[in-house]
Amino acid sequence: MGDRGHEYRRDEDEDEADEEMDESDFKSQKDAVIFAIDVSKSMLKPPPASDSKKADKDSAVAASLKCAYQIMQQRIISQPKDMMGILFFGTEKSKFRDEANGRGGSGYPHCYLFADLDVPAAEDVKALKDLVEEGEDPDEVLTPASGSEGVAMANVLFCANQIFTTNAPNFGSRRLFIITDNDDPHHGDKTARSAAAVRAKDLYDLGVVIELFPISREGDKFDLSKFYDDIIYRDPAADGGNAEEIKSSKSGDGLTLLTSLISNINSKQTPKRAYFSNLPMELAPGMTISVNGYILLHSQKPARTCYIWLDGEKPQLATGETTRVDADSTRAVDKSEVKKAYKFGGEYVYFSPEEQKTLKDWGGKGLRIIGFKPRSMLPSWASVKKSFFIFPSEADYVGSTRVFSALWQKLLKSEKMAIAWLVSRTNANPLLVAVLPTKAQTDDESGTPFLPAGLWLYPLPFADDLREIDRKETIKCSNELIDRMRPIVQNLQLPKAMYNPAKYPNPALQWHYKILQALALEEEVPEHPEDATKPKYKAINNRVGGYMVEFKEKVEEEAGGLQKSRATKRELEDDDDDARPAKKSKAAAGSKGKADGANGGGSSNAQLKKAVEQQTLSKMKVNELKDILGAKGLSTAGKKADLVERLEQWVEENV
Amino acid sequence: MADKEATVYIVDLGSSMGECHNGRVESDLDWSMRYIWDKICTTVAASRKTWLVGVLGLRTDNTSNPLQENDGYENISVLQEIGPMTMTSLKELQGSIKASESMSGDAISAIIVATDMIGKAAPKRLKFKRRIILVTDAQGPIDSDDFDDISNQINDLGIELIIIGVDFDDPDYGFKEEDKPSIKANNEKLLQSLVDKCENGVFGTIAQAVEELEMPRVKPVKPYKTYDGPLTLGDPSLYESAISINVERYFKTKQARPVAASTVVVKSETDGGPSQSTQTLDDMDGIEATGGNFAAVKNARTYRVNDPDAPGGKKDVEFESLAKGYEYGRTAVHISESEYNITKLETVKDFSIIGFIPMDKYEPVINMGEACVIMARKFSEKDELTLSALIHTLYEVESYAVARFVAKDTKEPQLLLLMPSIEPDFECLYDVPLPFAEDVRTYQFPPLDKVITITGGVLTKHRLLPTDDLSQAMSDYVDAMDISTLGTDDEGNPAEYAAIDDTYSPIIHRVNQAIRFRAVHSDEPFEAPTGGVLMRYAQPSQDLIKKAKSEIDALIEAADVKKVPPKAKGKRAREANKPMSGLDVDALLGQNKRTKISADNAIPEFKQALNSSEDVKQIEEAAKQMGEVIRSIIASSTGDSGYDRALENLGVMRGELIALEEPGLYNSFLEDLKEKVRDEKLGGDRKLLWWKLGKSGLGLVTDRESDISTVTQTAAEEFQRLSKK
Repeated sequence: MGDRGHEYRRDEDEDEADEEMDESDFKSQKDAVIFAIDVSKSMLKPPPASDSKKADKDSAVAASLKCAYQIMQQRIISQPKDMMGILFFGTEKSKFRDEANGRGGSGYPHCYLFADLDVPAAEDVKALKDLVEEGEDPDEVLTPASGSEGVAMANVLFCANQIFTTNAPNFGSRRLFIITDNDDPHHGDKTARSAAAVRAKDLYDLGVVIELFPISREGDKFDLSKFYDDIIYRDPAADGGNAEEIKSSKSGDGLTLLTSLISNINSKQTPKRAYFSNLPMELAPGMTISVNGYILLHSQKPARTCYIWLDGEKPQLATGETTRVDADSTRAVDKSEVKKAYKFGGEYVYFSPEEQKTLKDWGGKGLRIIGFKPRSMLPSWASVKKSFFIFPSEADYVGSTRVFSALWQKLLKSEKMAIAWLVSRTNANPLLVAVLPTKAQTDDESGTPFLPAGLWLYPLPFADDLREIDRKETIKCSNELIDRMRPIVQNLQLPKAMYNPAKYPNPALQWHYKILQALALEEEVPEHPEDATKPKYKAINNRVGGYMVEFKEKVEEEAGGLQKSRATKRELEDDDDDARPAKKSKAAAGSKGKADGANGGGSSNAQLKKAVEQQTLSKMKVNELKDILGAKGLSTAGKKADLVERLEQWVEENV
Repeated sequence: MADKEATVYIVDLGSSMGECHNGRVESDLDWSMRYIWDKICTTVAASRKTWLVGVLGLRTDNTSNPLQENDGYENISVLQEIGPMTMTSLKELQGSIKASESMSGDAISAIIVATDMIGKAAPKRLKFKRRIILVTDAQGPIDSDDFDDISNQINDLGIELIIIGVDFDDPDYGFKEEDKPSIKANNEKLLQSLVDKCENGVFGTIAQAVEELEMPRVKPVKPYKTYDGPLTLGDPSLYESAISINVERYFKTKQARPVAASTVVVKSETDGGPSQSTQTLDDMDGIEATGGNFAAVKNARTYRVNDPDAPGGKKDVEFESLAKGYEYGRTAVHISESEYNITKLETVKDFSIIGFIPMDKYEPVINMGEACVIMARKFSEKDELTLSALIHTLYEVESYAVARFVAKDTKEPQLLLLMPSIEPDFECLYDVPLPFAEDVRTYQFPPLDKVITITGGVLTKHRLLPTDDLSQAMSDYVDAMDISTLGTDDEGNPAEYAAIDDTYSPIIHRVNQAIRFRAVHSDEPFEAPTGGVLMRYAQPSQDLIKKAKSEIDALIEAADVKKVPPKAKGKRAREANKPMSGLDVDALLGQNKRTKISADNAIPEFKQALNSSEDVKQIEEAAKQMGEVIRSIIASSTGDSGYDRALENLGVMRGELIALEEPGLYNSFLEDLKEKVRDEKLGGDRKLLWWKLGKSGLGLVTDRESDISTVTQTAAEEFQRLSKK
């Protein structure tokens, strides 16, 4: 019931679903963001005209709106439970909640609440879209205040305060994104500055974080010390006390204002949420530091279907509530009656709550290094689940950051990894992990410039997680074949010779939401999905088509020779290999069929025909049938009877 | 399919088995049964109908076996006929495993009976894995006349004969019993000679068998094919140049999960009330001897929608009246049955290479999970050669391939990284999934090798950065703690320590151990072992720590890390109370002091009031006002609409008062609040709020949280109950 925090965790990582929340975490793990966009003459001023195709065409306000529009759509996909609002300030008109347009006496003059803080609805997306794409502004919202007296920043801040207080109570993360080009809104007016500082302190005490996205114009530096240094707070304990830079967005250097703004805002898109905090990391007995853990990679999936009630004025989401019932008597069961038990030999065995606890007791949470190995000892397939990113925290151990940094540098330099025992949270199951470093983003050698530098906990599989594979002896190709394949591989490198996920949006996810958006906004449903994951076939053909043809010719040649030598070998084996009879010879018969088939008919097709006539096909094993069908390029799906029928049909038609 | 099994256990129940020997406090029988129970429980847990188990008692007081008409078959009893093993048969069996008064009974006769049982249940023509396991102390008489006949029979049926003895000598394992009775020494030799005559025989000592029980057994899973079809480079349907390789793809890793616990409830006997059945359950510590007392719990769902006219703002709706759809933000988008697939991307089965990347530009940390193995289709020379060429070329030019993968038509596309692997006689590609754009979260982190100041300056020497000494000490420590050759292989040569094959999932095997334990010991509490194989890698090896002691000490010294005392943590956070400019906002506030906490800005004003308070009186006053705000939020809440806000205020009030060491103020406020909730004095039924409050950990401040509080944990839990005074 209303237990959203847990729900969210489950989204985070289904494996750890039954883990407890971190101690004393009574807030719901949701995020609320208000975009506060400065609407002033300079913000509305279009960029200087230019003939260049790449030149900026957006005013700062237009860029901000486009950015907000894009982020709103992204959040619907990736943070469906989180809220967003849009507040203009410095406008001629004022509006807050249900107050009528432009009527005087608003509590917050020159503040216009364009979209109230909430989980975005289709109408919000539509309104923003109209404003952005069509430039439709029927209410003339985007008109700067005309009088000499502009907006009071104290009012903007208190307005945001009220929106957060009422709409996003008890949220784990509440942030105010201010986009402005004015570094000195209250020049010379000390009272107004003080009032703003007081309201900023209120926001800080309320737990609201202000993120400033300054826009610098025509070479002017945005000077924080004029005003915003009094408004913005930084937690010195976060990130080991190393301050984060506030980056200005600007047009130029081949970047439009929009791309620059989007990249700055995107980096703050999701609130930085630790998956575990202040986890003790023991390097050796007596040598402990503390680290925070983050999930930087998380597989996004389309939301599940939901139930909708259509009998009202508007379609409405029906929220489900679960009651537990006894499967035998169907009477409702109280939560306190429910017990966990294990099925065993057709019955249940039960453990007392204390015993359940000891089952999960692994000596407390923590990360403990048990030794180091060369990085090369990590097999490429040793992968079972995504990795956690860890970063030092000074909260429990002063000096954690420098020790962490020294370890990071050493692991990079010596190409080593640490092996460690990890219990990430209370009630989490233990894992063995490899501790791996990633290089600094600025490092040219970095394979992940899209990810920060630091250490990763890479979960290692246990023996239980390994699957047996059928290690049939494989044949090695000739060196000539490698020579012919080489230019193909060398000429088809991905851009910048790296895998950059940003280039590959998930086509299924994007399509799902594109269609939903069209349905929700009653727009036309697009016909063709974009799919960046599809290979560029034309380019492949143009670049290496010739090499591929040569390669294939060589393969044909070698395969022919190989078939002959294999067939002879097999016959020899068939003659004197009685120890392991049936399976092998039959399988060989199948493959011979294929080999001969390729050469245009022969004895084994005759064998097959014989088998059909004598109706002995059904005596073959399913695997063998599939091998033969596969080799003939036929479907291998279905039950045995289907396979036999399909093969019979083929034989009748082709032999 | 092929793995049908028939196993007969022969348990020596002779009176000597009831005694304790060689300094043990456990009887020989109990000790031996550890091994047998473990084996049988594994069978029960698998619940396979084709795994048959029979149990024979040797040297029992009575005689009851199919061959008892003949001489020499006395004191042998069938304790369980050969058949599938269930929990119920396990319980029954437990009752009959007791040491007898008898000393006579021939182990060899028992083996003949067992062979006979297996021969009947699993006749030779059927494919079975047949096994006889005899556990004995070899103190009974043994007739060694027809060993050849017996072994012929055993071999003919393909039975594996395992004889394990209490304190049998085993030079391989390194055990020798001193002062062994001569009859036992003689019998051991006889039994050994019988085993030697069998094609498939094992002879061992129980100590080793029991010790090996600790070794986790990995459940084998058959290979699972995840794809069968072409891997292409280029599009064969459009370009003749395109390369197409027929491949098969199987799981290489797949996360194994512990046995899942089911949610159950005690069966209500007749239609007795729920309170009754709860009682029954609490009384019992394990499984009920009669069994079958639990019923599975099912979930029944009810659906509600918002309705401003309904009490509580919500009303129930019939499930039948609901349609399916998706959420787009907070908008419900209805999709009719016929259009159900409209949001699904249409795809066709596909496995095609997008391009290649150099190996050193890839970091394994970005892969998203389980690996698969890709091999060429069998018996197809062209495919084998082409794949081999791809593997060798990738290997040689140190590259990986990135490929688009659609397992079958309509499945979602995935991106995979293909990595070459070449071993003697075996080549393949391994693949792991790669993240999409949406899967990457861009969090900002400061650099680790430099410090950037607020003004943008770059420092390379700072307390957050390692000194040269620390870097050197770290380097020495890492090198000293190398475990790449710390382990030993089967031949005793140095080998990788904590290699993947040697590591077992602790949770899977602990749960299995616990279940097996519980099945046999319904009345003993389960205690998880703190050491053992499962915990072997929870700590670094003690030898290694000793060896690296000087490097560790040097590291500790150079690191100079200081633990922050728990108390100081809160204080440090308070220092952050200033904006970047360092402006003293409190001083600004001081000029026009806020005296009254307003409802719409309660949290900041409450915090600021506390911050500027000079004596307890002012704190009390602030707490009083905050309390009023909270009560009015609750009282004016429509349904549960104001609850989150109330909880937020409660949380702040609680946290701040704990930090100021005034938990009593919160506790007495809460006592008053509880009364008002109970008496419905806050605008009606507010039980849900009280429940949420407890669930959010906002109950009474206990003595664990604050030294000053006198409320115990138990008292605080009791306090949360609304019904009782």
